[in-house]
Amino acid sequence: MSVVATAPPGQTRTRRRQPRRFAQAIPYLLPAAILYGWFLLYPIIDSVRLSFQEWNGFRNSPRQWVGLDNYKRLFTADPVFWKAATNSLIWVVLSLAVPMILSLLLALALNRKMRGRNLFRSIFYIPAVFASITVAAMWSWIYNPNFGALNQTLEAIGLGSLKHSWLGEPKIAFYAIFVASIWQGVGFNMVLFLAGLQQVPNDLVEAAKIDGASAWQRFWVVVMPALRPTTVVVIILTIINSLKVFDLIVGMTAGGPAQSSQVLALWSYTQSFSNHTFGQGGATATVLLIMSLCLVVPYLAWSMKGDEK
Amino acid sequence: MQVKRILVAVTALAAVAALAGCQSSDDGGNGGSDATSGGEATSGGDTTSGDDTTSGGDTDQQTSGEAVELSLWMLTQDGSQGTGIETIISGFEAANPGITIKLETRETDEHKDAMRQAAGTPAEPDLYFYWEGPGLGGELVDQGVSLDLTSYYQQYGWDARFSEAVLANITQYGGYHGVPWTIQGEALYYNKDLFAQAGIDALPTNYDELVAAADKLVAAGITPISVGGTVNWHVMRVLDSFIEAECGAETGNALNTLQASWADTPCVTEVFTDLKTWGDKYFNEGYMGIDNNQASDLFYMEVSAMQLEGTWFDAQIVDGGLDPEKVGILPFPTGTGRLYGFGEALYIGAQSKHPDEAAKFLDYMSSTSTQEQVVGIWGALSVNKDVAPATDNPLHALWPPIFDSATGLYLNNDQNMPLDATTEYWRIQNSVLTGDIAPENAGTEFQKFIDAR
Repeated sequence: MSVVATAPPGQTRTRRRQPRRFAQAIPYLLPAAILYGWFLLYPIIDSVRLSFQEWNGFRNSPRQWVGLDNYKRLFTADPVFWKAATNSLIWVVLSLAVPMILSLLLALALNRKMRGRNLFRSIFYIPAVFASITVAAMWSWIYNPNFGALNQTLEAIGLGSLKHSWLGEPKIAFYAIFVASIWQGVGFNMVLFLAGLQQVPNDLVEAAKIDGASAWQRFWVVVMPALRPTTVVVIILTIINSLKVFDLIVGMTAGGPAQSSQVLALWSYTQSFSNHTFGQGGATATVLLIMSLCLVVPYLAWSMKGDEK
Repeated sequence: MQVKRILVAVTALAAVAALAGCQSSDDGGNGGSDATSGGEATSGGDTTSGDDTTSGGDTDQQTSGEAVELSLWMLTQDGSQGTGIETIISGFEAANPGITIKLETRETDEHKDAMRQAAGTPAEPDLYFYWEGPGLGGELVDQGVSLDLTSYYQQYGWDARFSEAVLANITQYGGYHGVPWTIQGEALYYNKDLFAQAGIDALPTNYDELVAAADKLVAAGITPISVGGTVNWHVMRVLDSFIEAECGAETGNALNTLQASWADTPCVTEVFTDLKTWGDKYFNEGYMGIDNNQASDLFYMEVSAMQLEGTWFDAQIVDGGLDPEKVGILPFPTGTGRLYGFGEALYIGAQSKHPDEAAKFLDYMSSTSTQEQVVGIWGALSVNKDVAPATDNPLHALWPPIFDSATGLYLNNDQNMPLDATTEYWRIQNSVLTGDIAPENAGTEFQKFIDAR
């Protein structure tokens, strides 16, 4: 007796329908796909192509193929590239360490029932709605060495010896900008974590409490695993936003003093649109793209694997 | 859960992609330099010329009766500048029926980008504003964007309308490129009261006396000079003047145009040593952390005694609330006789289909009668040598004798040097100030970059 495997009738019908449904979907997908391809994929490919060429930005100037020269120059003769790359990585690490933890703590604090909870949530979130260039202008004034609120406050409370030219000293400027970015960025992550906390089943927390779990154990064993999807999103967004940090630095130091607060995104822009060395700018952007993929893709793969388990 | 994972993945990859793609987009932003190009001497001179004029003449357009629209690309013109350009355009159109001007304005960086994008294509404007000097205006001339106006200079007799020094900016590339739009001098604006308070009885006439004056100001508890370091070009003005003072005009020119070696020219070390000294002793506290506007506040509030600015500062002093009668203008005492400054011009695009009409507009714009209507709006002085300075600000009157006594102009280096070299020049300048590069190594470091270009 032979056994013939047959799919259930309903399933066969569904499979037959799929190509037809796909064909039906194409006209709806096509406009978005064309726009995506034109405005996103094409510039990426062109940017990578540009990194192997020399071009001064004039439309009537030919782009000259120079092979790996731009990369060679970037890695061996560019006096700013390594500083910018190091700063970009430091920014990523600091962003993952400081504002993320702060935003989680704030979310935990403001997830409790307490008076004025919504007011505090709004207060902490408000900086996130400001344009970065506005934040840069505000903090530039706060850091003003002569009239700025920070130095004035330090002076007033007897800590005048701690006064600095916050944006004017190469060893401090980069971190001074980072403080402004914390102020701006914490609120957004806090909202994401708050949304995640709403999804944590209260029953589980209560059960753990009854079982005698301490506050830390409840957080670590019950809340954090439930927050995993939110944490993945926050980490990925943090990494990406850190790598493309641009406007805060432009507005506060423009990469200075002496390129000490330079980062890759801004350096790529500077090479392309200020120096008009588009090949160099393209090479820097390509390095940044590779760095981003190297940081994001493994983490994404790892976290998705974790979800499957 | 599956959908959530896919969403996360798509979000992340799209964001990474956007990050890479942003290199190819132009989202505006910073712009390095504010001021720009440069010029050559200005001297007043005799006032013959001036075919005062405008319309007239029978052009192809008028005989054929076809309407002609000329495109004019400029920087954004706000306030009185907006009114001023409107005055010129409407006056021209009234005097030349059948020719209209379509004005397009952009911010500095966007204007530069637009010119690059349009270069050599039909999109090139009939007329465009640009700075003078090899680094900016000269680059467009090299690219064939600007039309050589030699025949129009002969036709309209423009040579007689401008001083020799102003014209030197136009002829520096060979032929005639552009018609002068502004001429900007830059000098030390000083606070007379603070100078008196510090016991400075006579204005410095050479570099050593300037240093002595700065010492007196420091001794009196006054900040000698205010600069804003976050915009590199503000400190650059002082550095440029040190080059002129320590190296002289000829060597200075050779260095600034990258013709001489920065590593082997002895005066370079002195230049950067001066810069470091001024940074440590005479600049305002925390200068590297503020911009030019914040530096200007120190001058307006009479905290600092000097600021190196250009003719546009006349109006800004009034806007900043400082009585202009309290202020004097002192050319940086470099000892060469040259004045720091630059010029700007209106050029005819090489692709223009209506160069005759465009030339007619330039003739109208630079004529005595038109310039008398708009003098003081873009600079204290008119480029037309027959036009008296504006009288609405007492500081304007101080400029003509300064220009008259100058033997020439030395340019801002962000107009002299190619753009990438300027960025590196600023890095070296700031690194010397912050102590990251020793003054004696600065020239070698810069030359290394130049050699690797």
